[in-house]
Amino acid sequence: MGRILIVDDTMFMRTLLKNILFSGGHDIVGEAADGAEALARYRELKPDLVTMDVVMPNVNGIEALKAIKASDPSAKVIMCTAVGQEQMVKLAVKSGARGYIVKPFQAPKVLEEVKNVLSA
Amino acid sequence: MKSVPVKVEHEGKWIPTTMGIGEDRFRIDAPLEREIPYKSVVDLEGKKNQVVITAGPEGELIYRIASVEKVLSVLKKFIITQASAYRLNAFFMSPAIRGGVLIQDARWEKGAIAVMKTGIWFVSQENQVCIPLEDVAGIELTSREIQEKDLDVVKIDHLSENEVVTSFVLCPMTTLQVLYNFLKEATHDTEVGEEIDPLTGQVAMLVYSGMDSSTIENMLKLSHKDLDVAYEKLLGMGLAEVLYIRKEVQLTAKGVRYISETVKSPME
Repeated sequence: MGRILIVDDTMFMRTLLKNILFSGGHDIVGEAADGAEALARYRELKPDLVTMDVVMPNVNGIEALKAIKASDPSAKVIMCTAVGQEQMVKLAVKSGARGYIVKPFQAPKVLEEVKNVLSA
Repeated sequence: MKSVPVKVEHEGKWIPTTMGIGEDRFRIDAPLEREIPYKSVVDLEGKKNQVVITAGPEGELIYRIASVEKVLSVLKKFIITQASAYRLNAFFMSPAIRGGVLIQDARWEKGAIAVMKTGIWFVSQENQVCIPLEDVAGIELTSREIQEKDLDVVKIDHLSENEVVTSFVLCPMTTLQVLYNFLKEATHDTEVGEEIDPLTGQVAMLVYSGMDSSTIENMLKLSHKDLDVAYEKLLGMGLAEVLYIRKEVQLTAKGVRYISETVKSPME
């Protein structure tokens, strides 16, 4: 089980992910609503894994991913975005993302992906 | 025509027999004694170790055949490539997304697609995938980056073993448009005609994600009655079905007494 930081600009999606991850026995150590906050929270909390929304105001998810990876190359980040933005996968993977989930998602699959990334 | 052992359903019973698989037809031996040209097949349904074939000029004859996967796979391939169906050569990726998680090793397969009465079939050298039309949740003409080019694809969302799966079809744009229109027409019964209010939409999203009623009430700060109203809307629009009805109970005086007795200290 992991210590997870959830990054998403909508409270609804953060709450949904929090419920899903909590039901899988994970510890939600923090939340952030944009990329800049994500980087600050990552440095402060040192989570085992980050779920990162791609489209966010101010600093977007890809930029935040790059900043986190620059600060900690071993960081495990799963990108999370809406249907139709799957082409971001390549960019995210190139930038160091370990996994990718597409909204809307189903709890068992999210937990499976988180488990895979945590155990990799 | 090569003969293989199969079982066929006859008068409500599964009967062991043999089936011949030829280039343009297949034959089912006694008790059916029938020869069926692949081009007369109008529908094919695939189930575990079983196929259901509808054939004949009126499409009224239904054959249920059970056998090992290898045999059924050969039979299905002949039927899909020759049956009376809307068919095209295309690339497909199925599944590409499962439950919202991208399948990292998903790849494009070269093959054929056949749209039959009750399902869409993808067939390649190695794979045969059936998407029943009743399980199709969405059809969209969209674009996808393939080998660093944005190409038009048809995206099909469908249910598979209680998971939402996304598959993609790639072929020339003119064919793609025809396929899209054909699928839209074949699945128009599942389109949402009415507007959904934001709260009911959020409830639907949470149900989709696998949340139970209690979690939904907590997340959206809804009363039991409010959630029931949202559920009724989803049920009324055909967007959801009742999985089970759970009871909420309170203890009677007898029940309260039982609990009181249970928690009494042995010293009392």
